[in-house]
Amino acid sequence: MVRHVAFVLALWKTNLLSAMEYRVSFLTQMAGMMLNNAIYFVFWIIFFARFEEVNGWDLVDMLFLFGVVATGFGVGTYLFGNAVRLSFLIASGQMDYYLSLPRPVLLHALASRSNASSAGDCAYGLLSFGAAVFFAGAFDILMLLRFGLGCLAAVTVLISFLVLVQSLTFWIGNTNLLTSNAFNAIVTFSLYPITLFDGTAKLLLFTLIPAAFIGALPAEFVRRFDLAQLAQICAGSAVFLFLATFVFYRGLRRYESGSAFQVRT
Amino acid sequence: MASGGRRQAAPGSGVRSPSLPAALGKYWAIFRTQLVNSLAYPIDLLGRSLLIVLFMWIFMNLWRVTYGASGAHSIAGLTLADTMWYLMMAEAVMLSKRDLSEEMTEQVKDGSVAYLLNKPFNFILYHFAAGLGHSVLAFGGNLVIGAAVVWLMVGPPPGIAGWLFAGAAVILAWLLDFCFSALIGLSAFVVEETAAFRWIYQKFLLLLGGVLIPLDFFPAWLQTFSLNLPFAWIIYGPARLFVEPSLARLGQVLLQQGIWLALIGGTVWILYRRAAARLAINGG
Repeated sequence: MVRHVAFVLALWKTNLLSAMEYRVSFLTQMAGMMLNNAIYFVFWIIFFARFEEVNGWDLVDMLFLFGVVATGFGVGTYLFGNAVRLSFLIASGQMDYYLSLPRPVLLHALASRSNASSAGDCAYGLLSFGAAVFFAGAFDILMLLRFGLGCLAAVTVLISFLVLVQSLTFWIGNTNLLTSNAFNAIVTFSLYPITLFDGTAKLLLFTLIPAAFIGALPAEFVRRFDLAQLAQICAGSAVFLFLATFVFYRGLRRYESGSAFQVRT
Repeated sequence: MASGGRRQAAPGSGVRSPSLPAALGKYWAIFRTQLVNSLAYPIDLLGRSLLIVLFMWIFMNLWRVTYGASGAHSIAGLTLADTMWYLMMAEAVMLSKRDLSEEMTEQVKDGSVAYLLNKPFNFILYHFAAGLGHSVLAFGGNLVIGAAVVWLMVGPPPGIAGWLFAGAAVILAWLLDFCFSALIGLSAFVVEETAAFRWIYQKFLLLLGGVLIPLDFFPAWLQTFSLNLPFAWIIYGPARLFVEPSLARLGQVLLQQGIWLALIGGTVWILYRRAAARLAINGG
């Protein structure tokens, strides 16, 4: 276990050093993503300036929501950058490289790439959380712990969901469209108040498109402690992590090598 | 792309210009090829159009709750049905427009722009014709599926005038959007990494263009500000025309689109000429 952790840390360090070789590009993408998220959030500022609240959610709730989602999304896609292109690696036979090395295949593949723009998401999420705390007027160290736990859950469920969907490539071949739609769906749903949706829709958001585990549920948990929510977050993360790992390794048995020369620099 | 090496002259220099019908024929062929190419993958086309269902469903939940909470039949002159049909048209335009800036950036970065520049067509018009071929089909798919969903949710769509007027405005909206895409793509000649510009442009369209919320719901100062920017005439103009068609509004939308097209299109043309003249390609 310690060996695996050290290996992943070494991968992340290499990715960071690699990004720092193109410092200006890295910083440009990071700043661009922060600005991008900020512009998107202006929608909610305009919305709540006019309508004040929507089914019990107000602007501060949205700040908490964006804090958790952006941080979780940023951390997840920065540390496990290949989670958004796993289907491409499988379909193009590029898993050969990871299979030929004595390391956990899924972990190695996911952590082998970092996205510079994700650092911008992460920074924006932290700023949003800071603003939420400021406007809520309540902060203690336990809230910070809850935020850490909420983000960890968001990362786990997001990456597991992406792995789960893209593992279908082992069975059905091209899943570009499915991946793109699933990605759009989970990001879009996670950024809306869950109180907008009724019973059936809510069920979907906890199962088929688990956006509730990435956004609303951890965001509500960060704002105020609730044992039932904590149990839901932990159970949801564990179930999706297990499913993703199980389905990926079952699918890997069907993997066919690309037999192509691959050069990694 | 790299500095040094042999220089390539701007395309077309020293070459006799073809007649207008011949030139149009070339781009028509590119448009048709892209159209046929998109038709070859109907499942893909249908799958991409399904995204509009997701957005319409979320918007319906959001605005039904909002209208219900406000207790008003209409907000800023728009009923819930108007708002949903407006959002359907806004999303149909947004989801069907082809973002060419990424493709152009890649072509500049990997040097393949060199192979396109020495072809007997204009690099910018080539991309526009290809993009239009993609957008027309995607727009049709989004419109059919989006309209079916919104009809089920809030009742029948606006009258035929709305469809016709919005259709005319959508074509100019694509042109205007293409000019922005080209501007972002051409900036790759200077900065190489253009992703940040692309994201910000997309978000300007979402917010100041009126994809997420009709500009009528904005505070007055922000509404005036947005209407003085080109983004509103890519999305808001056609979508608002769709739910409230009138000759006066059509004239206003087309006039604004024409002015911005002249400004942004002119800038693109000047930048393209300069970039192509300064492009240096190593190797052969």
